[in-house]
Amino acid sequence: MKKFLAQRLDGRYSAFWASVLAIILTLITASLLLLVMGKDPVVAFQSFLQGCGFLPKANYGGGSGMLSDLFDFLNYLAPLLLASLAFIAGFKTGLFNIGISGQMLFSGFLATVFIGYNKSMSAAIAKPLVILIGLASGCLLGALIGFLKYRFNIHEVVSTIMINYIISYLTGFFINNNYVDMMTRTSRICTAAARLTWTNVKIGGVNCKVPLGIVIAVLIAFVVQFLFDKTSFGFELKAVGLNSRCAKYFGVNVGKSVVLSMAISGALAGLAGVCYYLGYTNTIIPKTLAGMGYDSISVALLGSASPIGAILASVIVSIFQQGANYMSSRVGVAKEIASLITGIMLLYAACGNYMRIVAHSYLQKELDKTSSREGKER
Amino acid sequence: MSEYIVEMRHITKRFPGIVANDDVSISIRKGEVYALLGENGAGKSTLMSMLFGMYEPDSGEILINGKPVVFHSSNDATAQSIGMVHQHFKLVDTYTVAENIVLGIEPLKKKFGFLPWVDMKKANNEIAELSRKFGLEVNPTDLISDLQVSVRQRVEILKMLYRKAEILIFDEPTAVLTPQEIDFLLDIIDGLRKDGKTIILITHKIMEIKRIADRCAILRRGKLIDVRNVADTSVQEMADLMVGHTVNFNQQKNKANFREEILTVDHLTVKNENNFEVVKDVSFKVHGGEIFAVTGVSGNGQTEIADAITGMLKIASGTVKLEGKDITEASVRERALSGISYIPEDRHGVGMVLDFTLRDNLSLREYFKEPFSRNGILNPDQFQKYSEELIERYDIRSGQGPATIVRSMSGGNQQKAIIGREIEEKSKLIIFVQPTRGLDIGAIENVHKQILQERDNGAAILLISLELDEIMALSDTIGIIYRGELLKITPAGELTSHEVGRYMMGVKDA
Ligand SMILES: Nc1ncnc2c1ncn2[C@@H]1O[C@H](COP(=O)(O)OP(=O)(O)OP(=O)(O)O)[C@@H](O)[C@H]1O
Ligand SMILES: [Mg+2]
Repeated sequence: MKKFLAQRLDGRYSAFWASVLAIILTLITASLLLLVMGKDPVVAFQSFLQGCGFLPKANYGGGSGMLSDLFDFLNYLAPLLLASLAFIAGFKTGLFNIGISGQMLFSGFLATVFIGYNKSMSAAIAKPLVILIGLASGCLLGALIGFLKYRFNIHEVVSTIMINYIISYLTGFFINNNYVDMMTRTSRICTAAARLTWTNVKIGGVNCKVPLGIVIAVLIAFVVQFLFDKTSFGFELKAVGLNSRCAKYFGVNVGKSVVLSMAISGALAGLAGVCYYLGYTNTIIPKTLAGMGYDSISVALLGSASPIGAILASVIVSIFQQGANYMSSRVGVAKEIASLITGIMLLYAACGNYMRIVAHSYLQKELDKTSSREGKER
Repeated sequence: MSEYIVEMRHITKRFPGIVANDDVSISIRKGEVYALLGENGAGKSTLMSMLFGMYEPDSGEILINGKPVVFHSSNDATAQSIGMVHQHFKLVDTYTVAENIVLGIEPLKKKFGFLPWVDMKKANNEIAELSRKFGLEVNPTDLISDLQVSVRQRVEILKMLYRKAEILIFDEPTAVLTPQEIDFLLDIIDGLRKDGKTIILITHKIMEIKRIADRCAILRRGKLIDVRNVADTSVQEMADLMVGHTVNFNQQKNKANFREEILTVDHLTVKNENNFEVVKDVSFKVHGGEIFAVTGVSGNGQTEIADAITGMLKIASGTVKLEGKDITEASVRERALSGISYIPEDRHGVGMVLDFTLRDNLSLREYFKEPFSRNGILNPDQFQKYSEELIERYDIRSGQGPATIVRSMSGGNQQKAIIGREIEEKSKLIIFVQPTRGLDIGAIENVHKQILQERDNGAAILLISLELDEIMALSDTIGIIYRGELLKITPAGELTSHEVGRYMMGVKDA
């Protein structure tokens, strides 16, 4: 077993195996936690899957079924995947965009106010406009962060944290003043025309919410992969991320690359924002940043900063986050455990490099042992 | 007690695709200076890294004072009184000299009687004491980032001595030094030997071995070829043993044939971030077919001239023209495309992306052009083909060919890769800064041949080097720089190396 793992972790697909190991370790840790709380981990994990429509529940309410659960899951998955792609786009260029939740809120707010509350617009116009606003507003915000870094040498981690606060309070102020729903204390819901999710779609006899975002998100994952693997622009961005002095030396405009990369990252975060606020939730809670913006970092690291890896990783994190409600009602554990599990997963994923080093030195020792044994036989 | 303080027996070390050390056995006596000589990639650094506990050998054993030891990390080696100054220094830039030296073994005191506290005052005093004792002048409270390389090296040496090292390993310590600094360092090493320390010295410069070493082991492609008493072996013999064939020390140099003017630098002034003029009002011309050498003591502005010409540094005033075209305001890329190649001084920090493959690094000047990419889409086959060609043509040795991550390559082979990539551009102007630093004599011979060949093909060459021998052997015109000013420009034949040396020290009429 040890040797099996070590070989996997040392070789060419080591990133993949490090993630698999991180997931397994997370499951073990979470099981222990549940056992300590006196709950049955098998039932708990089963109900996470049931909550997401991967396994059938014991009984369903009227109009819902496995399929509608699965679509709810996709509604959550879409913005999470986009957000993690946003993180990856910056990360490959050496930028740590932890302001994704702020950028999401910014674009979600603008799209809600300008399109979501416009009752006269038809769906054919409103939906593309929402996507456009999402992309454009995130892009501008990202570019601003890139510009601050390039022009005034303000580190993106600092500026994004500040901007997160500014956006959170500013949008909170406007929502509470102008757009609040007196009953729910959140912003009024958007029109169905503007929402990026079609509700009440009858599929197989149940009412499903069909998200437009998931198609976009998967497409974009492949686009980002292509950008960094196959284009000269991506080649330059990676060089800037790994050694910006060398990039400058071979003719890359480093400042421009930083701004562009942050703009791309911001644009994707903006897209995630409209998929979240005008798809998944359909409303904005004032002065609250979406935890998804931070989960996206776990997803990106668990997927070892590869866009295709992020697709798999976001599925796993979504199962916990989206399945938590049902799990909580069935097993009786507070649903915050989902965030706890995501956090543990991030921890193990971040240890991936360490595990690879351990695996490497273990294999090295094995090799030494066999070679010295051979030596003695000779 | 054994006769030998260090014995390495039948050491073998493999890396993916390469046997870096193949059944190597060496024995070192207490109190001697033991030199390791070998081509780039011969496995010298690897062998010493194992003695210093950074790698474990695949097979073979290490004995210290006759007792077998197994090192799992360099801490284990330090505990056995072994110290090492690496080819590339390992210091924390934002720490002071003293902080770097005591890092990991800080002297502690109890503040308020119980709080453990690092006693920096004691550390500073101890280090000042130590530096006086061995003649290694440093100021314990200086920041590393403010120091010149030669001083940084002294810090590395003090770091070993502070840890009470008895066996001192130096990996190419003289590659980064000026001739004066080399003299100084060799004296220090001699002093350490008199003090009873054992010294292992890796160097490519046989003259240094001749001068300081007692014995010399010669490695070639991972294998131990011979161990010689330095006193009984001639320089030529050592060189031939190392390369495996007869080395020609005197380059065949054709008469220079100056063509049209290519580079024109006019009243160039460059300022550093503190607004200090590091290059002051410098003017010179380089013609096609001419090797113009700029020489001076390190840190007198010569690298800044190169950076200003290539666009890496902003020009404060003055103009730079290439074939009459003003490029003072052009971008780095525009300058490169209009015909400038540049081998920078800092190959790790500037010359390559260490975490890219050799294939990608060799294509850095080409990736955006057809057929390397079309409409912004890369063509990996072309990268592969091109890098295979360059590896072949410039004899770049590595474990896994084009797919090797450059970080794992030996220092000399990294340099060969940069030189190959830049020469291959067939530029009108090629700027070489310290082109042969860290190269073995066979490779130096090759690079010199290539420089002369490019000159004969009509390229203008700007050569910036601290090696006086190199300057004297190659240059057609010499410009001597002192404190950012070009003191003298003269045809190469008119000065002896002694006179050049005097100008370098700032003597105006030598
Ligand atoms: N960590 C590593 N991983 C893979 N290959 C390595 C590693 N370290 C060294 N090598 C390979 O082992 C060989 C010997 O390298 P080493 O650095 O010991 O050479 P060297 O004699 O010090 O050369 P130089 O004079 O150029 O510094 C080289 O071919 C190098 O590419
Ligand atoms: Mg070396």
